[in-house]
Amino acid sequence: MASRRLWPALAAPGVAWLLLLFLVPFYAIAAVAFGGTDPLFNAPLPEWNPLHWQFGTMSEVISRATTGDLRPVFVRTFFYVAAAMALCYLIGYPVAYYVARLAGRRRGLLLALILAPWWINYLMRMLAWVNLLQDDGYVNDALLRLHLIPNPVHWLSGNQYSVVLGLAYGYVPFFIVPLYVTLDRIDGRLLEASRDLGHGMVRTFLHVTLPLSRQGLLTAVVITALPMFGDYYTNNMLSGSPTTTMVGNEIEFYLLGSSQKEVGAALVLVLSGLMLALMAYYLVSTHRASRQVS
Amino acid sequence: MTFHPRERGSARPGLGRRDFLRASLLTTISAGSLGSLLAACGGDGSSNRPRASAVQLSRPDNPVKLPIYQDIPAIASGLEPEKGTLRVLNYSEYNGPDVLKAFGKKYGVNVQVTTFVTMDEGGQKLRTPGAKFDVFYPTTDVVGKLAVGRLLQPLNKSYLPNVSNVWDQFLDPFYDKGAQYTVPHTLYTTGVLYRADRVKSVPANGYDLLWDEAFKGKIYVLDDDREALGMAMLRKGITDINTEDPAVVDAARRDLEELIGGVNIKIGSTQYSTVPEGTATIHQAWSGDAVNAQYYLPEGTGPEVLGWWYPTDRRGAIGNDMLAVPTAAEHPVLAHHFINYMLDPDNSVPDFEYTGYQPPLKALNPDSMLADEYVTENLVGAVITPEDFDKGLQLLQLTPKGEALWDDAWAKFRSGA
Repeated sequence: MASRRLWPALAAPGVAWLLLLFLVPFYAIAAVAFGGTDPLFNAPLPEWNPLHWQFGTMSEVISRATTGDLRPVFVRTFFYVAAAMALCYLIGYPVAYYVARLAGRRRGLLLALILAPWWINYLMRMLAWVNLLQDDGYVNDALLRLHLIPNPVHWLSGNQYSVVLGLAYGYVPFFIVPLYVTLDRIDGRLLEASRDLGHGMVRTFLHVTLPLSRQGLLTAVVITALPMFGDYYTNNMLSGSPTTTMVGNEIEFYLLGSSQKEVGAALVLVLSGLMLALMAYYLVSTHRASRQVS
Repeated sequence: MTFHPRERGSARPGLGRRDFLRASLLTTISAGSLGSLLAACGGDGSSNRPRASAVQLSRPDNPVKLPIYQDIPAIASGLEPEKGTLRVLNYSEYNGPDVLKAFGKKYGVNVQVTTFVTMDEGGQKLRTPGAKFDVFYPTTDVVGKLAVGRLLQPLNKSYLPNVSNVWDQFLDPFYDKGAQYTVPHTLYTTGVLYRADRVKSVPANGYDLLWDEAFKGKIYVLDDDREALGMAMLRKGITDINTEDPAVVDAARRDLEELIGGVNIKIGSTQYSTVPEGTATIHQAWSGDAVNAQYYLPEGTGPEVLGWWYPTDRRGAIGNDMLAVPTAAEHPVLAHHFINYMLDPDNSVPDFEYTGYQPPLKALNPDSMLADEYVTENLVGAVITPEDFDKGLQLLQLTPKGEALWDDAWAKFRSGA
């Protein structure tokens, strides 16, 4: 009898965490997006009662995002995140695979090294990139000396490749770790069975390892894609040009640089809606995957 | 929203510190003015914003006498300054630490500085219920809101004999007729900071430097909607930089958009270092940046590589900020003494040496500042004179609808469409 109450009670800290640090702030954002503005200080007046919510700003923001000036920003953000995800995949999968299956005794050391950049503040790491990528920085120096480029590349002048690289660099360890955990758990005997039944290395990977790591891959994608969608700082540091503005930059402007906080809040909700769709897909797929396994 | 030179975009704080205490605001507004405020709240039809401002918008040709409330009197004359801790609410690094320390020593008190990054954030901190700051540094575009919102107390001039040291205009400025609530702190103009070693000739209309394709990829506008769009207007000879005419704002946005394809424009806020370091060749900047830039030059590079352009007819953007005493001050007499202290050239000049932003004092002029080596010959245009203040154009408070117009134009420019 006691245990029937005990086990759900163990979830209480997690539930409290979700309520306090996710649902309440999220509701506050909605209250600002659907609330009014005080006429004196132009500050938002959050409306806590959903019956009194005004949807004028939200419909304006949605129309700007779908057909207006914010549309290219949303499209660009989507492509940047997709490209950065692809890079994370290309870099992260082999690394996770190597650490999980081939690193042997050095795996602890390798994992520590992958996470080592986290010991340095994100800002400092991005400033280091700014130094490396400057017109007369080491990256251009090296490329010029190797005769790979005739003239210095303007990496920091609104170069979209720099932004994508920055995003991938910033989040790739988040991609590797969950993937590593999944790959590590794959039963080695399944791989041996595949080999015994005549599959080569490549086909074993494609037909056994890859399907079995799907769940970890999805986790990795969700964990890295969500913060990438909201990222604005990487862009500020590595570009600063209107040609690479992401949704996060517009949110930053509306919330911190303008008097229209309600527009910033509405943008947060629109972006959250898009990411919610991504999460829903993730939950449905993992559910399906776990049913297949059982 | 008008920005202030101390607001450095890259250092803006995260959202965590934003609070939602604004709901308590209406309780701070007098019952008498509540009706008119709520009337101004009428929706715009499309967005959730009020159309009109609850505060009379001050303009040089429409000066405003701020209201005095019976229940918020100025302090009596002849009181002894309080002991304890003077609480100052200011931008970060906007007072020389030695100057503050010296004041504390002279009066036997502690000086505690709480900082903010944007004026918006400063206003929020001031409005937080229970906040008890003694000194605040408002800008011209918010002072009306603060006075009407009952957040400031009138000054008692008998404590401020040093007011005689400031330029005469500030004894009766248009944003606070009779200087009832404020004394000036610093001034700044907005112009173009450039690398004189790379830019061989400056066109008569110096704003055109930003459109010069020869420096593609090395040109920046300030990360500030009012300054950037206002600059595009000034370039075309439009002097009403507080316009709420959508056609004018739109035209300015389109002019800025030319910069995207033309010079691969960047948006920046660290001009005081990027120009001397050479990352930027041309950067829209504040006069204080021109003064500060010489300290960011790489070793072996002299200040002659820097150049500053401001309209030769001195009809460019100008701004100033102020010192004021909040209503909730616990040490109002000490606060008056502090303000008087800061108006003494013996203290405000060392303060200027630290911040790079010039106080409007009679003791400072282009000749004296050149002689004392605060600026070099090539940057002397960054020194502001009383005539500049008369001729210059201020970016002032707009109606909520006007602010939305400028904000959205800037967001559209930033979208890079």
